[in-house]
Amino acid sequence: MIRSVNFQRPQNRFVTHLQTSDLRKHYVMGTSVVRALDGVSMTVEQGEFLGLLGTSGSGKSTLLNLLGGLDHATSGTLRIFDQDLAKMSRAELSMHRRKNVGIIFQSFNLISTMTATDNVALSMMFAGIPRAEREREASRLLESMGLGGRQKHRPKELSGGEQQRVAISRALANKPALLLADEPTGNLDSKTSKEIMDLLKALNERDGKTIILVTHDAALAHKYSHRIITLMDGTVVSDAKAADAQA
Amino acid sequence: MILSDTVHLALRNLRQSKLRTTLTAMGVSIGIASLTGMVSLGVGIQDQVVGRLMKSGVFDSVTVLPPQTFRGSGGLFGRAGGGGAGRRGAPQNQRGGLADASGGSAPSSTLDDNAIKQIAALPEVKEVYPVIRVPVEVRYDLFAEGVVAMSVPMTSKGEGPYQTMSFGSFFDNDTDNACMLSLDMAKQLTEHDPNVAGLEPKDLIGKDITLVYASSSAPAPAPGTIDSTISVGSMQIHRIEAKYRVAGIFEREQGGFAGGGTSGLMLPLARAKDLSATIINVSSQSMLRGSVGAAPSASGAPASSAPPTPPARTYQTLTVKVAHPQASQEVEDKIKGLGYSAFSLSDALTAAKRGFIILDILLSLIGSIALAVSSLGIVNTMVMSILERTREIGIMKAVGGSDADVRGIFLVEASSIGILGGVAGVAIGWFVGRIINFGANRYIVSQGGTAGDLFSIPLWLVLGSIGFAIVVSLIAGSYPARRAARLDPIQALRHD
Repeated sequence: MIRSVNFQRPQNRFVTHLQTSDLRKHYVMGTSVVRALDGVSMTVEQGEFLGLLGTSGSGKSTLLNLLGGLDHATSGTLRIFDQDLAKMSRAELSMHRRKNVGIIFQSFNLISTMTATDNVALSMMFAGIPRAEREREASRLLESMGLGGRQKHRPKELSGGEQQRVAISRALANKPALLLADEPTGNLDSKTSKEIMDLLKALNERDGKTIILVTHDAALAHKYSHRIITLMDGTVVSDAKAADAQA
Repeated sequence: MILSDTVHLALRNLRQSKLRTTLTAMGVSIGIASLTGMVSLGVGIQDQVVGRLMKSGVFDSVTVLPPQTFRGSGGLFGRAGGGGAGRRGAPQNQRGGLADASGGSAPSSTLDDNAIKQIAALPEVKEVYPVIRVPVEVRYDLFAEGVVAMSVPMTSKGEGPYQTMSFGSFFDNDTDNACMLSLDMAKQLTEHDPNVAGLEPKDLIGKDITLVYASSSAPAPAPGTIDSTISVGSMQIHRIEAKYRVAGIFEREQGGFAGGGTSGLMLPLARAKDLSATIINVSSQSMLRGSVGAAPSASGAPASSAPPTPPARTYQTLTVKVAHPQASQEVEDKIKGLGYSAFSLSDALTAAKRGFIILDILLSLIGSIALAVSSLGIVNTMVMSILERTREIGIMKAVGGSDADVRGIFLVEASSIGILGGVAGVAIGWFVGRIINFGANRYIVSQGGTAGDLFSIPLWLVLGSIGFAIVVSLIAGSYPARRAARLDPIQALRHD
């Protein structure tokens, strides 16, 4: 009976998107070992907006890098859907970055010599999508972000908010189910920050993207997230529903 | 990632640092230019030498000599005309004795018509003909000089040195009352009198020259032939002055390959046979100019016993044409097996080719030094480029670029520099070669030589050089590309 109940659940709710167990990441710095992550176990549901809160050095960025497939865990498991990132080769990790996640950085990380369109098309290029098709898709994404007239501009010619929207377009280009945002508003003023956060919220609510927001700003995290996991010294110290979370 | 995207991205990167790309490609082009120039010099010299040898028609021929006179090809190469006439009689007997003493595999292997038949029956033999040398005096206007005329069969028409006649044409038939002159001989004839200017070798075509020789019998009456008879003891000697039409002028190699079978004055074979049957070899001047075969018939001393109609003609030299040059060694061995002395230049050709391979390797090694230096330039440029673009590489990896994608971009960048440098290098190498060739040929011509291409850039060298440039660039670029591919994305993203 319980099984049949499980089947009746809506597809985008309460389906485990991502699960870590006893995830550890240790760095060797000279003679001492830095335990950036020291046994993190957590679960993220599909369609969830999760806030990862913590001070600098708490391990939140390290966790994000592991989720994004930018780094290898020292031990533990990291399952995204049914794949274990901890067991992936370098080539498989690059496939994971290409297909499964879109990463949004504090410093935008756009290629300064490329136009907005080319930056967005970059990830599609690595996915082997033909030029005409990816340029069309990139234009469409930029227009949907309100950057219709900015397609041929280079990052230098764009404001911070515009650059971050180009970066978000790029993260969406290969249609990943998971967006990882690492302090996406850290370099933006409060008005632009709100615009960006509203955009992420829309992507979560309208498009059903699972979003993990890494921030040190507790108010921001509480305002936009469904649930907040707080990290300290590489371990989870709290995992609770966000204060302002709707429903 | 699609290859065209990799190329596109790589070229974009190169365009972004035009100066650096240009300088690096120039480095490669200098390396390739020196390599191409050196190899093309080797190829050019080889073409000149082998081409001349091939043109002389010596590689499809085997020269057959009577057993006792063969003393290695050296005598035929270097000593033609150099040996004293006085030495000839005595050593010949000595040599005969030596041949007998050494066992004499074929004691009666004289080069007569039977020998021709015997050799002609061998496999791979196309034809056999005797080479007859007739000492005569050539007169034209005020010019008078002793020359050893040589016979040439009608089958040689259009072959060897007669492939392209400088002027005129080959003989009409085997008994044609005509001769062919070598270009150098023709020049001697036309330039002998400094007072007569403006006479060109080509003006000699159709003109008559006079051959003067001593004969033991009166010639068949012919127009313009003067026969003045004197008696020496019991013998009558006819001093013949016969007119020969100049049919053609050909260019012969100055190298002095006796096997090439050319002389300044060539006569149709049948005519030369008739002449040599009766001619009395009294001119020591002529003997001096003759090579091994110039000695009179094997029967003995000249002037005393040359019979009016010899019962069995013997020849000093036979030329055997083989079906193809590769068979010449085999035919040579078979002829030796019959008891004759024989040599061909196939060994010389093989040795020459081997020598040229070594020369080419040496030249390309010298040429490669500059290329080795410029390949370090590629490494340097690429490493610099990676340092500058570390963050960009990090971004590419973060959005899904694999190690292989990044490596591919850098390898294409390196090989593009290689293509650029290779094409420019071949062009520079060709251009510099042309300039040196021009200067060298001016000097050669001023020294009386024939102009030729000292630098030859065949298509394989063009493609090979560009290909080599690409390979060297790829090797030089492989370390930086690997380094870029292995960059840790997190580290790279932190880089600024």
